[in-house]
Amino acid sequence: MSAYPTVKTIDEFKQQPAEYQDAVRKIVRSHALNELYGAQVFDEPAIQLAPTPYAKWLSCRVAMEEYHHHVRFKELADQIGVRPEEMDTKNKRPLNIFELPLESWEQFCVIKMLGDLAEILQVEDLLHCSFVPLRNIARTTMPEEKFHAQFGLDFCVDLVETDAGRDKVQRAVNGFYPEAPKFFGASGSKNNAIYRKYGIKLRSNEDMRADYMARAKSTVEPLGIRLPELKFDA
Amino acid sequence: MSEALGEAWFSALGAPLGESERAEISGYLLGIGLPGSLPVRAASSWREAAELCRHPADEWWQAEEAERLRLERSARLDPANAAWLQVTERLHGAAAVAAARAGCADAALIRVAAGSATYAAYQQRLAQAAGSPSEHPFLRKYALFCGGRWPLGVYEERFAIF
Repeated sequence: MSAYPTVKTIDEFKQQPAEYQDAVRKIVRSHALNELYGAQVFDEPAIQLAPTPYAKWLSCRVAMEEYHHHVRFKELADQIGVRPEEMDTKNKRPLNIFELPLESWEQFCVIKMLGDLAEILQVEDLLHCSFVPLRNIARTTMPEEKFHAQFGLDFCVDLVETDAGRDKVQRAVNGFYPEAPKFFGASGSKNNAIYRKYGIKLRSNEDMRADYMARAKSTVEPLGIRLPELKFDA
Repeated sequence: MSEALGEAWFSALGAPLGESERAEISGYLLGIGLPGSLPVRAASSWREAAELCRHPADEWWQAEEAERLRLERSARLDPANAAWLQVTERLHGAAAVAAARAGCADAALIRVAAGSATYAAYQQRLAQAAGSPSEHPFLRKYALFCGGRWPLGVYEERFAIF
């Protein structure tokens, strides 16, 4: 737990050192953009790829939850002085993970299973954030993020019941997973050191990435799915 | 958009269908290019509704999608609009309450119901934004939702509704 005192309000936030304020803005902006990109390029298009009305409507609801996450982070971003142009997906290049073209339902299920697992780790790291308004958003969105990852896992469990389905899931994992660990940022990151200095985040990028890779492995192995070898593997 | 917040979403699930509802269904089907005389299957439980919509319904879905795409050529809506998201939260809450009253605690199925209402509400807003007449099929389907129903789609040549 951080020794940095909690920052309970926007007014208190404005009294913090500029380095603290900049650090919080970076994180809030990143989450707002990632939630928006995810909803736009994965969740909303998945409605058309889903095989049944059940899966389509569930995808629709998940898309709306992701849009709502974006709005929650964006509202906070507005309050703490993130400039509107920084929040526009037209001006900010997305993480590589969002440039993967969505082409199949199996791929979407894998993205929810493994991509939202990465988001869960990121949000978990904010649950004790020194900036209370950000901590509160993390606590609000966490149950939905967990549901989204479970949604992906549940559909993957159904898909791997056939050999053809397992092959499709494996191909989707092979295509998605190599980019996923980059979601946690560079090793030895100066930004991450600042986040931890101020108790905004708790864990290093390396620690979170290793945890993610272990959790991803334990998620897919019971399905008879293997993660591709990555350069991050020690 | 606030009108959606006051509707009786999911409040008549499983109740006997009235003549006006049957007329609305017939008009809706004709409006999306399907036979208005299709038999109607009335689901009587959340479990039955879930089982029905786990089946593919491509012809019906594509008929609706063709109309959605046509409307989107003249009107676009922002899915991240804050007022719209408030509506979607209301729909999820209404689905959760209706499910709880029926003894259903399936979080995924509640989201499925909420998602279907969200999609219908989006289609209704789209039809209105495009200046469609009151007999537009998306407005007819929305009216069924507003009356507390959950239209489930067309499966094996039958229109299903809960």
